[in-house]
Formats: sequence, C-alpha cells, structure tokens
Amino acid sequence: MSLSARDLTIGYEGNIIVPKLNMEIKKGKVTAIIGPNGCGKSTILKTIARLHKASGGGVYLDGQDVHRMSTKKLAQQLAILPQSPQAPEGLTVQDLVSYGRTPYQTGFSRFTAHDLEMVEWAIEETGLAAYRDMPVDALSGGQRQRAWIAMAIAQETDILLLDEPTTYLDMAHQLEVLELLRKLNEKDGRTIVMVIHDLNHASRFADELIAVKEGMLICQGTSEQVISSEVLREVFDIETTIVTDPQTSKPAILSYNLVRQ
Amino acid sequence: MKQQKRARFIWVILSLLILAACLISFNVGKVSISPIEVWQTIIGQGTPKQELILFEIRLPAILLALLVGTGMAISGAVLQTVTRNELAEPGILGINAGAGLMVVLYITLFQGSLNNMSLLSTFAMPFFAFLGAMLTAVLILFLSWKQGLHTIRLLLTGIGINAGITAILTALQLRLNPHDFMKALTWLSGDLWATQWKYVWALAPWFMLLIPLTLYKSHILNVLHLGPLVSTGLGVRTERERLSLIVLAVALAGLGVAAGGGIAFLGLISPHIARKLVGPKHQYLLPTAAMIGALILILADMLGKNLLKVDIPAGIIVSILSAPYFIYLLLKTK
Repeated sequence: MSLSARDLTIGYEGNIIVPKLNMEIKKGKVTAIIGPNGCGKSTILKTIARLHKASGGGVYLDGQDVHRMSTKKLAQQLAILPQSPQAPEGLTVQDLVSYGRTPYQTGFSRFTAHDLEMVEWAIEETGLAAYRDMPVDALSGGQRQRAWIAMAIAQETDILLLDEPTTYLDMAHQLEVLELLRKLNEKDGRTIVMVIHDLNHASRFADELIAVKEGMLICQGTSEQVISSEVLREVFDIETTIVTDPQTSKPAILSYNLVRQ
Repeated sequence: MKQQKRARFIWVILSLLILAACLISFNVGKVSISPIEVWQTIIGQGTPKQELILFEIRLPAILLALLVGTGMAISGAVLQTVTRNELAEPGILGINAGAGLMVVLYITLFQGSLNNMSLLSTFAMPFFAFLGAMLTAVLILFLSWKQGLHTIRLLLTGIGINAGITAILTALQLRLNPHDFMKALTWLSGDLWATQWKYVWALAPWFMLLIPLTLYKSHILNVLHLGPLVSTGLGVRTERERLSLIVLAVALAGLGVAAGGGIAFLGLISPHIARKLVGPKHQYLLPTAAMIGALILILADMLGKNLLKVDIPAGIIVSILSAPYFIYLLLKTK
C-alpha cells in the first residue's frame, strides 16, 4: 500500500485553496496533519478520500488515481470519518456499525458470517459491547465518536482517515479516542491519517506530522522535527516555548505567544 | 432482532386497522349496507344494487386510497431521507402542484372540460401528472444545483416553486367556467375522484413497479441518511443514488396526484409517525410509513364522504388532522 498526492491542486468556487501539493503518507504509521484554520488541511484529507474533487494532479493509492477508481473498491481499502457526523435519531450502535459493511454488499444480499464477525470485532474493539442496542444519539460524546470509529473499522480497510476526531470532546474523551486510534494502529499496522487541532496531541500520538499553511506543505517529519519553534512560527505565527514531556519524551508546547512584528 | 419483532408486531396491528377501516368504508355511505349484507354480497347473494355500490363504487375507492396513501407516504419518506430534512415532502417541494398544473392544463387544453373523459385520456392522465411532477423536479434541481446537490437550497427552491405554480394554477382556474372551477378546486385540494375501476387499472401497475423498486433501495437509503460524506466514504455513488431516488419519489407523488389531487401533509406525517414506531431503518420504516399513509387516506376518504351532507375532499380531512401535528413538528425542530 502506498498513498501519495502528486501535484494535487484543489479549488473551491473558482479559488485555488491547495496549489500543487506533493506528499507521501507512510505505511503503517499514524500521520497528523496540522495547520491554522482555513489552511486547507481538512480539504486535503477529503480530497485524498475522493469526497472532494481535485482540480489538478491526483491522489494515488498503489499507483491508481483514487478519483478514477470505483468508489466501492476504494471503500474496501480506505475508510474516512468526516468531521462531526450526525446519526439519524434512534439509530442503534449495532446498526450504525453494520453500515460499515456497505462496500461489501449488493442489493438485497444478506450479511455473511464474515460480515457479522467484523461488526462484532469492531464493537468489541471500541469497547461498545454494552451499548450495542442503544441509540447513537443517546450516547456521550466520546462513546458516540467511538461508535463512528467502529463503523469505519468495520469497513476492514488498511487505511483510516479521520477529520478532527476529537473536536467537541472533553479532555478525557479526547485521550480515549486517540488511544483507541493508537491501539488500532499498533495491533494490525493500520495506516491512520488524521487532521487534528491540538498540537500536543499530534506530537504525542502521531509518528509523522505534516504542517500545512495556505495549502502548501511546510514541513513533514517526526514530532521532534515539526514541533519546533521555527516551524511553528512559520506555520502558525506563534512564538513557542517547547519542552520535552517527561511522560512521553515527545516535544510539548508549554506556552506560546503571538509573533509581534 | 428486537427491532424486527417490534416492526412485525406493528405491521400486524396496522394491517388489522387497515382491514377494519376497509370494512367500515364498505358499510357506510349514502346507502348504508350492514356487515351481514356486505358478506352476503361478497359471496354473491346480494341484490344487484348492493353489488353495484360495493364492487363498482366503494371497492375501487378503497383500493385507490390504499395506492395513493402508500405512494405519498413512501415518496415523503424517501425525500426526507435524501434531503436529511424532516420537513421535506412532495407537497411542500411543489411537486404535487406541478403535477396538478400539468393535469389541469391537459384537461383544459385538450379536453375542453373536466367532464366526459374518454378511456384513452384516462390512461394518459397519469402520464401527464408524472410529466408535471418530473418537470417540476427538474426545475427545482436545476435551480438549486451548485457543484452538487445541497439539500437546504433544494428545499428553499422547492418552496418557492410551489408558491409560483400555485399562483399559475389559481390564474388558470379563474378562466374556467364556474362548474369546472368547482371541480378543479375540489380536485386540487385532494379528492379521490378517480373512483372507477379503469383508473385503478391505469395506476396500479405503476405503483406495483415503483414501490418494490424503492424497497429494494432500503439499504442505500439507510446509508444516505448518514450524510453525503459518510455515504461516499462507504462506497455509495451518492450523487447518482440521490438523484435516482428523487426520481422515484417524484414519480410516486405524481401518480398520487393523478388519482388523488394534491393531498397535502400525507407524505410528511406518515413517515414521521412510522419513525416514532419502528425507528430509522428503512427496511422497517418504508413499509410502516406506507401502511400509515394508506390507513390515514382510507379513513379520511370515508370521513369526508360521511361527516357532513356534502362531500368533503379527503385531502381537506387529512390537512385538518395533520395541521396540529405539523405545527408541533415545527415547534420541535431546532
């Protein structure tokens, strides 16, 4: 599996948001895309997952352009969880997770033993077994996000993309979700790409960081390489005091100020 | 499994209620026929007059109410899911008005009058209603399309189109002679006027084709209900499926209008009540909504014919029954 963007240009209503982006997503790693509001990071993620059209260049999965592949075939290799998805009122966790098997279904076809097994596995893996018959809208924010992640992993793909999976969650639930993603990556080498706002979370949970500004890739590398005063000044216009987190030995931002000119 | 049991139980109850409504509709009317006489007539021992009333007047009316109610309810359920908006419905979107306009145009231009329609024109009517519904839908889609389907734009455009077409309809009606004006008015407010076997035969095959097709799409509807980004991520060709489902919903609404005029609210409230009863899974939701739509329309038709000395169009009864529910819905919507 290799996933990369080549000369990827993305426009929206006539404006170019992302000009000629080139990047490579590392296999089996957790990658975090960071950048200021409106920098195009979410659009890049959506375009990688063919939810947004490219105006030029392309996204290639094992050499194939994802925008020309059958959407169903792609859904068997790559899952995406958009930002803050809404479940219809009354939909149970079990049903939501079972919709993750959609790429393997045709018409009236019934669930195979393997489909059921994958749904079970996804529910167990996300710790939702006790909530399977509850409506998704009755769960707490963290549980709800885990239910959506369960749907995405029931899709049985090597690659999982997530757009701000921790938005609107409190601190404990943010960690819960990120640790789940870490576990999913470590256990079966799933490639995970997420757009995330909290830089300390990016530093702590991602193997690889991609910093984006105005649709351009500014820096890609480990947290030590990307979470540095120079890079953050350039990308976010902030002056940072960076320390090493004694717990994780990763760089962490202790304090920051606006850059004064 | 629990849901399935619950849905089956509700289907049994609804079927019994529909059956009861049919039996009552058999009994009451200008001439009341007792249940025993109904039974005697069914087994072939009734008087010719009773036979005429039951088999030539009341039975086709009940069957039409059943078909139209089913079609409107399924149409509303599909539109609500595809637009992800609980207020969507063929009436609100102007699709019923569009079908109505085409039928009125057809009748006034080609027939000269609403009376004495030939057999050929009877079978042509569903086509014109269907055509009117489709043209309206195409117009709404064309005006609201902006690099894809945006459901809020679609709804607002539909509401605007509805107002426009209703105005044209009114202008057209004013040119009719008083007799035809009354007829058109009754029809547009939703009157099951086509209560003859020939109309049943003209419409039934279309319903038989379109309803199973929609049921076949249950799983796609479930996934579309999660929103366009999620459904695309799950490998559904979202834009294409949404368009084809809109066409199905519009066709069902158009056929309903051909036989029943512009019955408002039925497509709105039937899926709602169904959702409360069986939840959002379309495998359960669509059949339940269909049964509720049929039940409401059979009851409304019967009430309209018997409540007062003059016939009240079924659509008016449905509106009177639904208006409070609709207001409750609006107040509840955030």
